[in-house]
Amino acid sequence: MFFVTYLRRELRRRLRQAVFIALGLALGVGLVVTVAAASAGVRKAQSGVLSTLYGVGTDVTVTGPAQAPPAPGTQSSKNGQTLQIGPRGPEICTKGKCVSAAGHTVDQLFPPLIEPIRASKVAAVARLHDVAAAAGAIALVDNSLTIPKNSGAPQGNSDSFTVDAVDTAHTALGPMAAATITSGHSFIAADADADVAVVDSGYAISNGLKTGSAIIIRQVRFTVIGIATQPQGTSPPDVYIPLARGQAIASATKAGGSLAGDVTLIYVAAASAADVPAVQHEISRLLPGDTVSAASSLASEVTGSLAGAAKLANDLGKWVSVLALMAAFAIASLLTMAAVARRSAEFGTLKSLGWRTQRIIAQVLGESVAVGIAGAAAGVGLGFAGAAIIAKVAPTLSAAVASQDSGLPQTTRNAAGVSYHTVLVPLSPSITIGVIELAVILALAGGLLAGALGAWRIALLQPADALAAVA
Amino acid sequence: MYTLTGVTKLYCKGRQTVPAVTGVDLVIGDGEWLAIQGRTGGGKTTLLNLLGGLDRPTSGSIELDGTSLGTLPETRLTALRAQSIGVIFQTFNLIPTLSAAENVEAALIPMRASQVARRARTTAALDEVGLTDRANHLPSELSGGQQQRAAIARALVKNPKVVLADEPTGSLDEDTREDIIGLLERLWRERGLTLVLVTHDTAIARRAQRVGVMSKGRLAITKDIERASG
Repeated sequence: MFFVTYLRRELRRRLRQAVFIALGLALGVGLVVTVAAASAGVRKAQSGVLSTLYGVGTDVTVTGPAQAPPAPGTQSSKNGQTLQIGPRGPEICTKGKCVSAAGHTVDQLFPPLIEPIRASKVAAVARLHDVAAAAGAIALVDNSLTIPKNSGAPQGNSDSFTVDAVDTAHTALGPMAAATITSGHSFIAADADADVAVVDSGYAISNGLKTGSAIIIRQVRFTVIGIATQPQGTSPPDVYIPLARGQAIASATKAGGSLAGDVTLIYVAAASAADVPAVQHEISRLLPGDTVSAASSLASEVTGSLAGAAKLANDLGKWVSVLALMAAFAIASLLTMAAVARRSAEFGTLKSLGWRTQRIIAQVLGESVAVGIAGAAAGVGLGFAGAAIIAKVAPTLSAAVASQDSGLPQTTRNAAGVSYHTVLVPLSPSITIGVIELAVILALAGGLLAGALGAWRIALLQPADALAAVA
Repeated sequence: MYTLTGVTKLYCKGRQTVPAVTGVDLVIGDGEWLAIQGRTGGGKTTLLNLLGGLDRPTSGSIELDGTSLGTLPETRLTALRAQSIGVIFQTFNLIPTLSAAENVEAALIPMRASQVARRARTTAALDEVGLTDRANHLPSELSGGQQQRAAIARALVKNPKVVLADEPTGSLDEDTREDIIGLLERLWRERGLTLVLVTHDTAIARRAQRVGVMSKGRLAITKDIERASG
């Protein structure tokens, strides 16, 4: 009780200095909290972007090598339909036989410019050591074009949408893993060969689809069994269908070919996060011609303002907050040592009364810790305010990721011919309990450091010398 | 009580060595009142600091009831000060943020008494010096004489064997000086304390049983007690 009374009275006596030190600590800590919150928000945005490419729970993806786009005029019509313009006008050619295309609809379903992978490789990957699960999928684009009957008529209707053919036995791995079913239900294993589809909520609203509606994919009628919503900031496909149906109705390329027994993507879950590098290595040895990516390697390929924000938060933000903290600690320490020096006579008197040095040090440390606690509380408050300001004023970030060329909006091609898919991601800084704990620890550490330096001065104090300061 | 043998204290000031106390031999008996006079810089305060264990001699020995203060470890010296030695300063040295009562109570903190016991003894000590009605006032709200009474109460609250007073009336007016010295004298008689008092004032010094004069670090006893012979 005497300890608290003495502490309280002393802090009140030098209230201005105590407030100044607490504010200094608060500013340093507040900056750390704000930067940590912004970093957490950027990381959340990044993982949101990455999860659209992988799906939640996916550690490694495997894709086949990119196909070179065919030169104009060299498309063959071995399998599937192709549309060509000849001397007799537009013609549809199916397996080498061509008829007039007037009044017809050309519907092509194909994976954009990527070599397929044999589906048997999925099982081989699943058997690898440290692999928890593996699932194959095919990312497809459905382009349809209706040719007008008369040559002078207005341009025919065209439509394009994306389709992901997924393994209905492994929906927890791959593009549907993060989806929430908002109407109807998702696939079950028994749907493997059924003409059923799950539709993205945005596409459903735009096209007036609901559970039970019909959707035509490659001239096959699919029944919508569910509507799915993916997390904000992701870029999901418009439609999901069972993998076996996708293999059956899609072409390997725009020009034809079969996808039977093939996939274009393998999603892999490792047994643990620590196993990811080893799994990535083993898959690369098993499938040497294919591209094996882990989330960490793709993260470095994300460009756009999201990547810039990540760099800003992690590099500049971290160092600015470290410097601010060091400055706050230094000021707190210097002011505390100065206060101890001014109180030399008081401490000398206490020593003459028989107070042990440790008891006097405990008193000074208690004062410093009290100031540190005030600094921590104010710093957390400032951190919340800083995070709120960032959330309010920060622009929506963009993340560009190298992707297959689907010819869809939001895809651009750079000078090297690499296609990028751009996703808009809102920045939501988040303050976790861990960050608050860090803030409190930092402020207390600052107070303790200042108190410790003052305590060191007290320990060196000889009573007679201290008392001489009065005279 | 005290036995000083060849006590010397030297201070180093840059390249110079300053002898503050030189070869002091002194015996102070239980219950004695010794007054030490002398000019400023003569070594009076240094001698008092040595007697109080607030400083250590450069050479020689100081014994308090057979315990050598010069060689005692710091923790035991601190404990000795807490229990056996009361100190009164010229400038009172009250803690400015604590009330008169809390300043007195501060002397009992090292003794680890309970809060109830501390408060009871504090009240008794303030009664004894006539400061009960000002117990809850801060030093800045007390007169010089009242502050010195609080300091005396603080020195006596732990029932010390010896009280060391360094110019206790130096900052006070004449009337108050008389009150304070009268209080100290009364307490010395009633409690049988050993009192060592440094003063410039010859009139005050004469009231003591023994008087010594410090000059250039050396002590000469100019008035002594009549001791029984044989």
